[in-house]
Amino acid sequence: MTTHEINPLVSLRDVHLAFGDTEVLKGIDVEVRQGQAVSIIGPSGSGKSTILRCITGLLRPQRGAIEVGGVRVDGLKTESDFIALRKRVGFVFQQYNLFPHLTVLENLVISPVKVGGQPRAQAEARARELLAKVRMEHKERAYPGELSGGQQQRVAIARALALQPELILFDEVTSALDPEMVGEVLTVIRDLVQDGLTCMLVTHEMRFAEEVSDTVYFTEAGRIVEAGPPSRIFDAPHSPRTRAFLQRSSGASHARRSARPAAPEPVAAPFAGQEVYA
Amino acid sequence: MTATLLQAWVDVFRPLGLNYSFVQDPAELSAFGHGLLVTLQLCAWTIPVSLLFGVLIAAALTSNRPWLARPLQAFVEVTRNTPTLVQLYCAFLVLNMLITQKLGGGNPITPFAWVVIVVALHKGVFHAEALRAGIEAVPSVTMEAARSLAFSRRQILTQVQLPLAVRFALPALVNNLVDLVKMTAIASAIAVGDVTYESIMIWSHRDNVLELLLLILLYFGLLTWLVSVAGRWLEDRLRMPGYGQ
Amino acid sequence: MANDLVLNGTPARPSGGVLPALLRDPWFVLLLALVALGVAWAATGTTPAAVLALWHWSPALLRGLGMNIQISVLAMALGTVVGLVVGAVSLSPSALLRRVARAYVLLFRNAPILVLVYFTTYVFPFEVKVAGWYVPFPDWIKVVIGLGLPASANVAEIFRGAIQSIPSAQWEAAQSLAFRRTQIFRTIVLPQCVRRMLPSWMNLTASITMSTSLASLVGVHDLVDTATVASNTVASSDFTILVYFTLLALFFAYCYPIARWTRYLERRYDNT
Repeated sequence: MTTHEINPLVSLRDVHLAFGDTEVLKGIDVEVRQGQAVSIIGPSGSGKSTILRCITGLLRPQRGAIEVGGVRVDGLKTESDFIALRKRVGFVFQQYNLFPHLTVLENLVISPVKVGGQPRAQAEARARELLAKVRMEHKERAYPGELSGGQQQRVAIARALALQPELILFDEVTSALDPEMVGEVLTVIRDLVQDGLTCMLVTHEMRFAEEVSDTVYFTEAGRIVEAGPPSRIFDAPHSPRTRAFLQRSSGASHARRSARPAAPEPVAAPFAGQEVYA
Repeated sequence: MTATLLQAWVDVFRPLGLNYSFVQDPAELSAFGHGLLVTLQLCAWTIPVSLLFGVLIAAALTSNRPWLARPLQAFVEVTRNTPTLVQLYCAFLVLNMLITQKLGGGNPITPFAWVVIVVALHKGVFHAEALRAGIEAVPSVTMEAARSLAFSRRQILTQVQLPLAVRFALPALVNNLVDLVKMTAIASAIAVGDVTYESIMIWSHRDNVLELLLLILLYFGLLTWLVSVAGRWLEDRLRMPGYGQ
Repeated sequence: MANDLVLNGTPARPSGGVLPALLRDPWFVLLLALVALGVAWAATGTTPAAVLALWHWSPALLRGLGMNIQISVLAMALGTVVGLVVGAVSLSPSALLRRVARAYVLLFRNAPILVLVYFTTYVFPFEVKVAGWYVPFPDWIKVVIGLGLPASANVAEIFRGAIQSIPSAQWEAAQSLAFRRTQIFRTIVLPQCVRRMLPSWMNLTASITMSTSLASLVGVHDLVDTATVASNTVASSDFTILVYFTLLALFFAYCYPIARWTRYLERRYDNT
């Protein structure tokens, strides 16, 4: 994308975060432009989810600058500051998102009404539109406990959209799902990306990340090891650590993937003929 | 009409060896009836007051104010690890005496009130434990989700934490209330005229201990049954379908 | 706090041995302070009159406490034995036996303990004829039975809950290994049950111990009764205040360590 002096919607510069004595983020730089879809991949414990939580102010870094839509998140102090930020940033978690004591419709309506001050009828109308978008309109009176994991996540995505955020963050939203439900959730996310919503995804679904992202970040041990367009990261990564990670994950998540012409690469013979990302 | 019913009652039980003739003495019958009423009143007061104490204690213990939480925690430990009867004596014989001395007579706190206060505090502590467990059972991700939806702290508390905590704690709370109903019997120890006390008065004249104890057992059984039924109704109304029970 | 808008990491707690932990416990410190105060008074001869009177009454009070402990130990022993039997019956294949057991549990769990104590004290005769001799049936034994009945009902429930909490997968696995029902019970289910039952059983013990104070209402010379007698004898309001709060302190000193140990056990068994 040409650099044309548009300020990025999200930018993190040199963010450091530690829990007690454990350093989780050791100098993170991330940039997301409006309308882009950015994926963050990496091994467990590398800090990916922590990055997302810093963006919406759920966690506070010890050092570094975080800017979202012109607002310095690391400088926010009062409750109303955070509330104002979170009205602009949607977040979908891995599990136990939804409020189990409310129906699906009430889950979607509660934030616009209680936080956004919208009249209930208007909030309900918009909620029904969102439910139709994620193909859950027939379940508006169900309780979350009666839904499958995939259905719950689709409702959670609809709920995150209820306040019409400028940016939406997905934290490993398919990792806790049974394999047959992963697809329905990814379809919803794909639609959102195609609609032009700015998205950041932390995910283990490599194929999906490759398909929808404009930029992919690979993190390991609290640092960004490599960042770039998916074609480079997945087909011809610069760093051997990226390559090692992709090889490790390819066994687990790409059994279903159809063969794809692999770029020529000096890879050890045992891998020839198998699908590999290298 | 009532005279014949009462006679019938006495006649039904006499062949079983049970002597219910006290019901034909108007003074004793009305005293017993009064005792039934007083027990009902004790329950009617103690149940809501104990729940109120429970919420207050739970709130104070989970607040981030050590100057409030620490002394209260000490009080909780003392209340849980000492007999209610002894607590009642300390309150009634000691505190009451001190208050009367300070006020020079005219102490507004009746023995009935002392029973309500002591039993409600004792059970309030157990309610607080149940509520605290309920609060901690709310998954932290659900609270993060509420935060990410731009809820304020108070909204998280009232819209997410409390509704879920109460639902989780409800079975324990109902159990506590059943215990509480049974505990009101210790009112008889400080001569509050509940059904146990009135029965003691009657059986010390007539020596019909077994007969009266059977009546008392039936009455408490009825009260505890009512509480459990109410609890089950509430659990039904507040249930979360699909949330593994 | 859990509903904070921003979470910060919690610092790690320093760990030490048992002794430092004891010294940091505020109750233990309080105990030491009281002992120090007592020693200071004795050394300088400035003990207040009420405290002196308490000191004189302390052997009687401790004897009373001994009676409470005696009653609670025997009541729990009786209640545990009977309760295990009733609990086993409540799981029997026979529907009739199950119903009988459930009725027993329902009756003795819904009756106020005070009423049960009155029941056993006044309804049982005050002497029993055994093989031609009249053996006095002391009140305190009646209280033991009166407390043993609700204890047994609770033990039965605890036992049933523990058995039913063993995942059925284990039963099936054992059966597929050709164990007989009794063998399964003895070698696989029971050891796990004991672990699961222990915290609730200890809670019940604490509760029964505190209920022994009701013995004072039926004329048993327990701690509470001794305190009342002392208070009436000395007839000083200072002493009355002191002795009743000493009652609290004595029960607390006995029950609180048990409660702490129970919590420790719960934590240990939760991690299995």
